[in-house]
Amino acid sequence: MKKIMVGNHAVSWGVMLARAEVISAYPITPQTTIVEELSVLCADERLRAKFIPVESEHSAMACCVGAAAAGVRTFTATSGQGLALMHEMLHWASGARLPIVMATVNRALGSPWNIWGEQTDALAQRDTGWLQFYCENNQEVLDTTIQAFKIAEEILLPVMLNLDAFFLSHTAEPVEIPEQRLVDNFLPRFEAPYRLDPQDPHSFGCLTPPDYFMEFRYKMQQAMLKGKEVSRRVDEDFGRAFGRKYGLIDAYRCEGADLVLVASGTIASTARVVVDALREKGRKVGVVKVRLFRPFPKEELMEVVKDAEKVAVVDRNVSFGVGGIFAHELRAAFCNDKSRPPVFSYIAGLGGRDVTPQVLNDVVYQTYKKSEPDEQSVWVGMRS
Amino acid sequence: MSEQIIFKREEDMPYQPISTGSMTWNKTGSWRYLRPRFDNKISPCNEGCPAGQDIEGAMVLIGKGKVLEAWELFKQENPFPAVCGRVCFHPCESSCNRKDFDEAVSINALERFMADAASRQGRRLSFKREKRKEKIAVIGSGPAGLTCAYHLARMGYGVTVFEAFPVLGGMLRVGIPEYRLPKKVLEEEIDQILDLGVKTEINTRLGADFLLSDLKEYPAVFLAMGNHRSKSLGIPGEDSAGAMSGLEFLRNVSLGKEVALGKRVAVIGGGNTAFDAARSALRLGAKPVILYRRTREEMPAFPGEILEAEEEGIEVSYLVSPTRLIAENGKISRLECLKNRLGPADEDGRRRPVAIKGSNFFLEVDQVISAIGEDADLAALPKRIGLKENVIRTDERGATKQKGVFAGGDIIQQPRTVVHAIGSGKRAAIFIDCFLKGAKWEGLFDGLRIGERGSLSIKRYLQEENERVPLSSKTVRLKDLNLDYFDYKKRKKMPQAQTSKRLGSFEEVNLGLSEETAREEANRCFNCGVCNLCDNCYIFCPDVAIQKQGEDGPNVIDYDHCKGCGICVEECPRDALVMEEERK
Repeated sequence: MKKIMVGNHAVSWGVMLARAEVISAYPITPQTTIVEELSVLCADERLRAKFIPVESEHSAMACCVGAAAAGVRTFTATSGQGLALMHEMLHWASGARLPIVMATVNRALGSPWNIWGEQTDALAQRDTGWLQFYCENNQEVLDTTIQAFKIAEEILLPVMLNLDAFFLSHTAEPVEIPEQRLVDNFLPRFEAPYRLDPQDPHSFGCLTPPDYFMEFRYKMQQAMLKGKEVSRRVDEDFGRAFGRKYGLIDAYRCEGADLVLVASGTIASTARVVVDALREKGRKVGVVKVRLFRPFPKEELMEVVKDAEKVAVVDRNVSFGVGGIFAHELRAAFCNDKSRPPVFSYIAGLGGRDVTPQVLNDVVYQTYKKSEPDEQSVWVGMRS
Repeated sequence: MSEQIIFKREEDMPYQPISTGSMTWNKTGSWRYLRPRFDNKISPCNEGCPAGQDIEGAMVLIGKGKVLEAWELFKQENPFPAVCGRVCFHPCESSCNRKDFDEAVSINALERFMADAASRQGRRLSFKREKRKEKIAVIGSGPAGLTCAYHLARMGYGVTVFEAFPVLGGMLRVGIPEYRLPKKVLEEEIDQILDLGVKTEINTRLGADFLLSDLKEYPAVFLAMGNHRSKSLGIPGEDSAGAMSGLEFLRNVSLGKEVALGKRVAVIGGGNTAFDAARSALRLGAKPVILYRRTREEMPAFPGEILEAEEEGIEVSYLVSPTRLIAENGKISRLECLKNRLGPADEDGRRRPVAIKGSNFFLEVDQVISAIGEDADLAALPKRIGLKENVIRTDERGATKQKGVFAGGDIIQQPRTVVHAIGSGKRAAIFIDCFLKGAKWEGLFDGLRIGERGSLSIKRYLQEENERVPLSSKTVRLKDLNLDYFDYKKRKKMPQAQTSKRLGSFEEVNLGLSEETAREEANRCFNCGVCNLCDNCYIFCPDVAIQKQGEDGPNVIDYDHCKGCGICVEECPRDALVMEEERK
């Protein structure tokens, strides 16, 4: 069945199909309609879940932590400032190895006040031990929501899926709704290895002294690394069950490309159009979309770009003093590889500014013109 | 108990730290230096009820559908819930914390609701009692006298009630009209008192038929004759035919005597008697007008009654004082009046009327009913009993200066309301019991007093001293509540008979709450200061140190594990927990 729905509702419907059992969230623009739709689904019992309204995102995540510790499938969603407020609990969720799934509608952080799209909110949480996916369209949003639970529950780490504010969250597209029966087959009930149970009391996450702490952290790191393989397998299984798969990255017309653009989220869609036009003109340009950001798909990316002369990363985010975060990650990932192409870094579209084909053309043009990357990220699409 | 495991290698460790068993052996309560404690306090409604009824407790029971249990709780303290549920001016509601949040709980309507339910189901209270040999005389069968008789009888005493009128009930019977308090309702509650073995002597008036000194066989006497004497207007023509007092008029109507009113009836006064008289006259086909010397603001009648009278179309002329009744052919035909303006405030805070010179005017009237106040006829009492300004001065027990003689109701120094009368009757019963047993009474108040306004609990008095849970001295106010947990919710009111149906009939005006509405209304109660097992503490305690004990509780604190964080106290919606310093 196809339905026309906004990206936020695609999240909600993904959660419904995944049969989440506890949902706790605090509303924030542009995430609000995810939670609104979920509360409707809970109210009319299409989704049999406990919906816990809370007074803050910090509490929302705390509720999810408690519920997940009791062994149930949990979900929350937030955005921008809300995600920032949740920060402390994000560490707890991953440290306690709880397979919580969260949708983050990427929004710029104030000040100055801004409610529009930018990935800095989620990327600022990249060290919290959560897997991170960035989605390009509403179908991918729904499908990734379902996949996220499966991945999280296998490796026992929480998963965050990201969608661009308004460009996806509030834009309607046709979305294929998978059959519940198939989703149930794909995603069976979650069986937690340990769970809070008053009949069998244990203490969880108790004080762990220096002579044990590092081992737990090491296990988290191993689980995160395993997350890449699991994500790949879950995506392939999903493809077999539903006829759609996305890969950890998605390379488009990169064969024989001398310049490969790297983008994520909705910018990748625009980049495809730009690439088509440039290819038409004989330019050997391709684009690769990074869907999985944590763990970082280094090998997959290297495989795509290794023969290109240049790589240009377009970041809708900024780490002040460093520049574009995807570019930074890419450089770090490639730095020990002698055959790496130079990585050009561009910052575009902050605070919801449109990243138009012209902006991306400018990126391509500048990258061709320069023999080597600038020291700092280049800001494109600025007022001039 | 958990066992300790030493891990040699990373692979042997679980993916997260988890104890192998329960950790309750770790007594984290030893970290505590502040200690929460469940501490029920006084609800302001309970403090505000002169009859000492456990209103808060009854609200919980009604809310759970245990209506008869709620009625029994009231009936422990007050034999007249059906009466009070109709005529009480409900100081409980004016004390209700909810009134400063949205609207007070409809306690009065709920009291009537449970009493009516008990009546429909023929429910009676029975008391276990030891027979006592002492006999007590109660003079006056109004709410004070009968309440005193009720409580003394349940304690096993032989009680005889002397009543001047041919009927029992005092003002309830001869002062309050049928449309506010149907006789049937009153009689049913009186019958329940008589069923305890209370004897009565009707048509027996103190002074005319007997004297206090004749009651030698009674070691204790309770005086509760009430205020049945009308104050006179003190203006010329007052003795003419066609003039009578409000009390006399109401009494005649109540006793079923023929009352010939003309068409136009002037009722003088602004108290409840004036309104009762005017509304009764209206029902008898007259066209009453109330003349009041001040304005609506200063009027002493209960606001509800003023409102109902206005609905019924009764005319009220404010700032008017009568100066002369003019008779023609021996019958009143005109009333001369003066107009007033408001002057400075009296000692009671109400602005005093000041006559406007030359503002005289005349009203054509067929009947004048004066209702400017009542007082007591205490001429038959010996001086030594302790009188001041025609009021008996009692001590805090309700005892007069004469040994063994107690007094209550309208003839002592207290507000003249039904519920104060009931409270004074109960107080007298308690201290007559003490007196007859020769027991010490001075220390009793602390254990019986509900709040600071003089309400006493006889239920507590009758408990063994060691079963009496100590009473808190704190009355909970709005600021003590955690209002985050309460929603705004409109107060439920009783439906009333249509105005058109009220005229020409003495049928009851207020019609009672339905069961569903009553339950909803009772659940509006904040249960100020009293744990109602809402379980907020249980839900919020981060140490799982609040323990539930079955459905009816009480919840208890596991001090072995309570770290004293205080979240339970903070999140208690109703101030039923306190935080105290840990004594080590």
